[in-house]
Amino acid sequence: MKRPKLLNSKNIAILVVLAIAIVLPLFLRTNQYVLFLATTVLLYAVLASAWNIIGGMAGQLDLGAAAYVGLGAFTTGTLLIRFNLTPWVGMFIGALLAMGIATLIGIPLFGFKVKEVWYALSSSALVEVFRAIFMMWNKVGGPTERYLPFSAEGPRSWYLMRFNTYVPYFYIMLALLVVVFIINHRIRYSKLGYSLLALGEDEDAVEVLGVDSRLCKLKALMIYSFVAGLVGGVYGCIYGYLHPSFFSTDMSLEVVILGIVGGMGVTYGPLLAAIFLVSFREYLRASLSGMFPGKGLEGLYLMVYALILIVVALFQPRGIAPLIKRGFLKLKSFVGVK
Amino acid sequence: MDTTSMLQVSNLTVQFGSLKAVNNVSFEIQRGEIFALIGPNGAGKTTAFNAISGLLFPQAGQIVFKGTDITKLMPHKRCKLGMARTFQVVRAFNYMTVEDVVRVGAYNRQGEDTVAAKVDQMIELCGLGEVRQRVCGDLGLATLRRVELARALATEPELLLLDESGAGLNTAELASFMDLLRKINREQNITLCIVEHLMQMVMGLSQRIVVLDSGEVIATGTPHEISNNQKVIEAYLGKRVTQC
Repeated sequence: MKRPKLLNSKNIAILVVLAIAIVLPLFLRTNQYVLFLATTVLLYAVLASAWNIIGGMAGQLDLGAAAYVGLGAFTTGTLLIRFNLTPWVGMFIGALLAMGIATLIGIPLFGFKVKEVWYALSSSALVEVFRAIFMMWNKVGGPTERYLPFSAEGPRSWYLMRFNTYVPYFYIMLALLVVVFIINHRIRYSKLGYSLLALGEDEDAVEVLGVDSRLCKLKALMIYSFVAGLVGGVYGCIYGYLHPSFFSTDMSLEVVILGIVGGMGVTYGPLLAAIFLVSFREYLRASLSGMFPGKGLEGLYLMVYALILIVVALFQPRGIAPLIKRGFLKLKSFVGVK
Repeated sequence: MDTTSMLQVSNLTVQFGSLKAVNNVSFEIQRGEIFALIGPNGAGKTTAFNAISGLLFPQAGQIVFKGTDITKLMPHKRCKLGMARTFQVVRAFNYMTVEDVVRVGAYNRQGEDTVAAKVDQMIELCGLGEVRQRVCGDLGLATLRRVELARALATEPELLLLDESGAGLNTAELASFMDLLRKINREQNITLCIVEHLMQMVMGLSQRIVVLDSGEVIATGTPHEISNNQKVIEAYLGKRVTQC
C-alpha cells in the first residue's frame, strides 16, 4: 500500500477534529476541571500513541511508560530547581535521558530475545525499580515532594512552564499529539513500519526475510521512550512538584489499555480510546461517588470501568478502531464523497 | 574456492538435550540445481534447515554459503547474502495484506522508491494479483504457500530453501506449484533446496537427492538411484522380513 495522499477525506476528518480541539479551550476557559480533564485525555493519548509504535506495531507489551515519564519529569524538574534551566529545554534533555536508559535496557532484553510475558514483566519491573531508586535518592527525589518554582504570569511564567490555567498545557499536549501522529504515520508506511508489523506477528519468519528484528525493536523502543520522556517533562510542570509516585505502574497499565482498546497498530486508535475511556472514567468517578456518599463506595467507578474493558475485550478484540472505521465509511458513502 | 558450489554443509551436528537430531551430516548444493533433502518423519530435515537458515545454531560442523562461513551468522544477515526460506507450517503475517507481506521481503534489497515495483513483479510471478489486497488470515493454504514463496523471492535470493512447500496441496495445486518452482529455477537461475515428504514432488523436480534417517545421511544420488536404493526403501517401509 502506498502512503495515502495528504488531502484525502480521512485527513480532512483529522483536520476537522484538530480544529475542534484548537477552539475547545475558548469554550471551556472558565471551567478548569474540564480543561484539566481534556489535558489529561491528550496526555494519555500522546503516551498511548507513542506506545502504539512498540506495542501496537511491534507487538511488544511494554509496561514501562511510567518509568520514562518519571525520568523525564525528574530530569526536567531537577534541572529547573538546581540550575534554573527552563523546562522547554529541560524536557528534551529528560527525553534524551529516558531514551538513553531505554536503549541500555533494550539492548540486552532484545539481544536475549526476551519476549511476550517476560518482556511485559521486565518493563513493568523497571517502573518499580526507578520508584525505589528515586525514593531513596535524597539528592534528587526522596519521600517528600519537591515543589517547582512558580510564577503566576508574565514571561517568568512561560520560562518556568508554570501557569495558573490549564490552557497552555492543553496546547502543549495537543502539539505533542500532532507530532506523535505524524511520526506514527511516517513510520507506518516505511520500511521500519512494515518490518515492525511483521515481526509483531512472527519474529523468526521476519528474520529470514532479512529484517534485523532486534534493531527494529530497539528503534521502536527509542522513539517511544523519547516521547514518553517529553511528556514527563510537561507532566511535572502540570502537577508542580516531583515525587517518586510519578513512577506508577497504574499509569503504564492505563497507557497499554488505551493502546489495545484503541486498536493495535492503528494511528488514531489510542486517541479515540483516550477520549472515550479517560473521560468516561472521570465521569464515573465524579457521578458514582456522589451517588452514594459516605457508603465507602469510592472505588465503584473502577468496577464499572473494568466491566467496560471486559466487554470491549470480548466483543472487539481488535479494538474500537475498526468500529469507527466502519462508521466513517458509512458516513462517507452517505455524504457521497469518494 | 569452488565457484560451482552454492552451499557446503560439513559434519553438521544439532543436539537437543541428549538427542542428536542431526548427526554429522555433510552435503553440498551446486549452483543452479534443484536439490532435495528427504527422509521419514523425525529424520532431522527441518532441523538441518533451521541450522542452515540460522534459526538455531549447530553444536558442531560448518556451513559455507558462496564461500563464506555462515555457521554463526544471524538469519537476517544470511538473507542479505542471498538465502531465503519458507516454512513447513505456513507462517504468514495474518493481519497483513498480501502485498504488505511481500513488501517486507522486498525491502531486503530495494529502497523506498523501487520497492513497489518489486512487489508488483513478485505478485505477478506468483499469480497473487487477485488477492493482493486481502488479509493473509482470510486466505487458504494453497494461496498462503504462494504468498510465502513470493515474500521469500522478493528478498532476491540465490538459494531458496523450501520446507515441505507441497504439503496440504491437492493434485492440481501441486502441479501448478511445481511448474512455478521450475520456472523460478530456470528463468531466474535460483538454486532450490527442497525438503519434502511428497515423492511425486521430489521425483518430479529434483536433480540430486540426499536421504536422511534418524539424523544421518543414508544415501545420496539422482532420483532414479535413490528410488532403487535398498537402505532408503528400508528407512521408509521397514526391513523386509526374510521369511514367514
